[in-house]
Amino acid sequence: MWSHPASAVQMPMLKSITLIAGIALSLSRDLYAQQSQAPNQDQSAKESDIEGGTMFATSCGFCHENGGRAAGKGPKLAGTTRSDEFIVERIKKGKPGAMPAFGGAFSESQIMAILAYIRSIEE
Amino acid sequence: MTVSTRHLTCVAALAAMAVAPLAWAIAPSEINPARIEAAEQNPSDWLTYHGGYKSYHYSGLDQINANNVKNLEVAWIHMPGRSTRGLQTMPLVADGVLYYSGSYSRVYALDGATGKMIWSYFPQLDEELVSMQTHSPYNRGVALGDGKVFVGTVDGHLIGLDMKTGKEVWNTHLVDSKKLTVGFTGAPLVVRDTVIIGSQGGEWTSRGPLFGVDIKTGKKKWEFLTVAGTEEAKATWGNESWRTGGGGAWMPGTYDPETNTIWWGTANPAPLYDWSGADWQKSGPRPGTNLYTTSVIALDPDTGKLKFYHQELPHDAWDFDSAVGEFLMIDRDGRKLVVHPNKGGFVFVYDRADAKVQNVWRIAKNINFVKDIDPKTGELIGRRDLSLGKASDPLCPAIAGGVSWNAGAYSPKTGLWYKIAQEWCMDVDVVKTTPITEPMAQLNIGANFKLVPPPDGPARGHLDARDPVTGAKKWEVNFDEPPLASVLATAGNLVFVPDSRGVLRAYNAETGQELWSHYNGVGHNGGIISYSAGGKQYIAVPAGWGGMVADEFPALFGEPYTSMPKDAGALVVFTLKQ
Repeated sequence: MWSHPASAVQMPMLKSITLIAGIALSLSRDLYAQQSQAPNQDQSAKESDIEGGTMFATSCGFCHENGGRAAGKGPKLAGTTRSDEFIVERIKKGKPGAMPAFGGAFSESQIMAILAYIRSIEE
Repeated sequence: MTVSTRHLTCVAALAAMAVAPLAWAIAPSEINPARIEAAEQNPSDWLTYHGGYKSYHYSGLDQINANNVKNLEVAWIHMPGRSTRGLQTMPLVADGVLYYSGSYSRVYALDGATGKMIWSYFPQLDEELVSMQTHSPYNRGVALGDGKVFVGTVDGHLIGLDMKTGKEVWNTHLVDSKKLTVGFTGAPLVVRDTVIIGSQGGEWTSRGPLFGVDIKTGKKKWEFLTVAGTEEAKATWGNESWRTGGGGAWMPGTYDPETNTIWWGTANPAPLYDWSGADWQKSGPRPGTNLYTTSVIALDPDTGKLKFYHQELPHDAWDFDSAVGEFLMIDRDGRKLVVHPNKGGFVFVYDRADAKVQNVWRIAKNINFVKDIDPKTGELIGRRDLSLGKASDPLCPAIAGGVSWNAGAYSPKTGLWYKIAQEWCMDVDVVKTTPITEPMAQLNIGANFKLVPPPDGPARGHLDARDPVTGAKKWEVNFDEPPLASVLATAGNLVFVPDSRGVLRAYNAETGQELWSHYNGVGHNGGIISYSAGGKQYIAVPAGWGGMVADEFPALFGEPYTSMPKDAGALVVFTLKQ
C-alpha cells in the first residue's frame, strides 16, 4: 500500500518531492522522456503546489467526487486498474468531450503528485 | 435528416466558411430595436433567448392547445452532428426562418416549415484550447438584430453573421481564452445598437467580464468586470484576491426598455469553497463580500456603467451563484418588479427601479446553506459557513443547485410561473488549497464532494406552478430525475417540459394534468420554443444530453443515463396532424 502523499507534502524541496514521487511510482526518467507533450516547467512552484491531495481538491475533485473515491461527473479513481502511463497521459491530454487537458496547466512534478495521490486513495 | 452527406462533407472541408445559401425563399423584414421590444406582440417569431425582454418564455400562439395537443406529431428533424456534451441551445425564429447553434459554436439557418437548410456556419476554433476547457464545447444560443446573427465562441470570439447568407460580417476577439481557458457558451443579447455577451467564469481564475459590442462594426464599446469592477468592489476582496476572483456572467440576462437598463446575473467567486468558516470577512482565500460575484447587476447598455446591484449571497461560499439569466418582468399593483431565481433554491423579487428586495421565497425544499433569507431585506439569516475538513451534515442543495441555468416559463393568461426545482445534497470536505495569485488555466474548487439524496427522500426534481411574486403554489409535478431543459408556456393553456430521459411532455397549464408526451430518443438539456411559419404553429425542442449537471446523473440515477450518449443531438420540431 502506498503511503499517503501527505507525507510528501512535508518535504521542503521540490527536487526531493519529485524524486520521491518518481521512485514510489516506479516511473523512470525514460517514461518522462516518452511523453509526447512537453512538461510545463514550473520552477517557482511552492511546496503545497505539488501536494497531490491539495491539487486534486483544487482542480480534479469537481468531477471525480469524494476525492476520487466515488463516481461523479468523472469516474471513480480509487482502485483504478489503469496504468501510470495511461493516467499521466489522460491528465495531460484529457478526453474530448469529457475531460479537459491539463498538460498546459500542470508541471510534470504536479502531475506526478496527482498520480501519487490517486494511487494512495482507498475505496 | 435534412442535410445531405455531400453537404456535410463540403462544410467539413470549408471550416470557418459559410456554405452558400441553398435557398432564400422567405423574405425577412428588418429586426430593429422596436421589433425586439415588441416581441411579445408577435408570437410568430421567437426573437431573443428569453422569448422577449420580459423573459416569459411564453408563446401567444394557441393553434396547438390543451384540446388538440394529443394530435401533435413530428414535422421535421435536423441533425447537426458532433453534438458533444449535448444540444443545449435555445432556437430563435424570425419571419419563418429558424436559427440555432450547436456544439463548437456552429450555427444553422433552416426553413421553419420544412427544416431545409438555408445556410450553416462552422467557426474555425482553436481545437487545442477547446481540449483544455471544462465547460465546453456546447453553445446555448444566438442573438438576432441589424440583419445579423450573433454567436459567441468557446475560444472567446463574438461573431456577427449575415442573416441571409451566414457569411461573417465581423469577428471580434474579446477574451484571452488561452490564458484563462474560458470563452463564451451563453447566448448574446441585443439591446438597440449594442450586442452584449458575458464570459464563462466562476471556478476559473478570471474576472468574468461582460462585454458591449457595436452591432454594426463589432468594435468593443465597453467591458464590465464582474469581479472588482469598481473601486468599491475591489475593497471587498482581501489580499488582492480579486485578481483571480472568478465571477463570470455566462447566461444572457435581459433589458428593461423603460429605464434603459440591462439586468444580468453573475457567477460565483473562486475558489468555490472557503475554509475560513465564520471568519470569512478577514481570513481565507478571498476575505470579504467579493463584489460583484453572485449578484444581479444593472448596467447602462450604452456605457457598461453600473447603475445599481444586489448581491444575493455576500461571500458566496457554496457555489450558489446568480448566473441564471431569467429576469421575469412582472407589473403588479402599480409596482414594477423583476423576479430572479438564485441557484441556491431561493427566488428573489426586486423593484425594477433600484434592485431593492421586495420578496424572497424558496422553491427548493432542501436548503441548509442558510436558515433563511429575510424576505424584506434579502439579508442572509443563519449562514452555514463551512470550515476546513469534512462537514458534519450534507450541504443542501448540492453543487448542482436548487435550480439550474435553464429557464422557467410565465403565462400572462394564468398568472403562473412554471419552474423546475431540484432536490439533492452533498457530502463536502473543504480543503485548504494553495492561493492562486495569477490567472491561469486551471479550475479553482477547494473541496472534495459527493452528491447524495436529500433528507426528505430521493434525489429528484419538480415542476412547480407558482405565483412568481408571492411564491404561492398552485400545483406541482414530481420527476424521478430533475428535468434540465427550459420550460415553455403557451396561450393554448399548455406547459411543455422536455425531460431528462428524452420525453417531451405537455401539461394543462391550469391543472398540471399531463396531456401528451413523445420520446425524442435522448435526454433534453437545452431550450424549447414555439413559432409560426406558413400559418402553422410549431414547437421546436433540441434533444441532446451531456452538460455539467447531466454528468452527475449516471452516478445518481443509473440507467438510462449510464449509457445515454453525450455526443448525439437533434432539433425536433412538432406540429398538429393535418
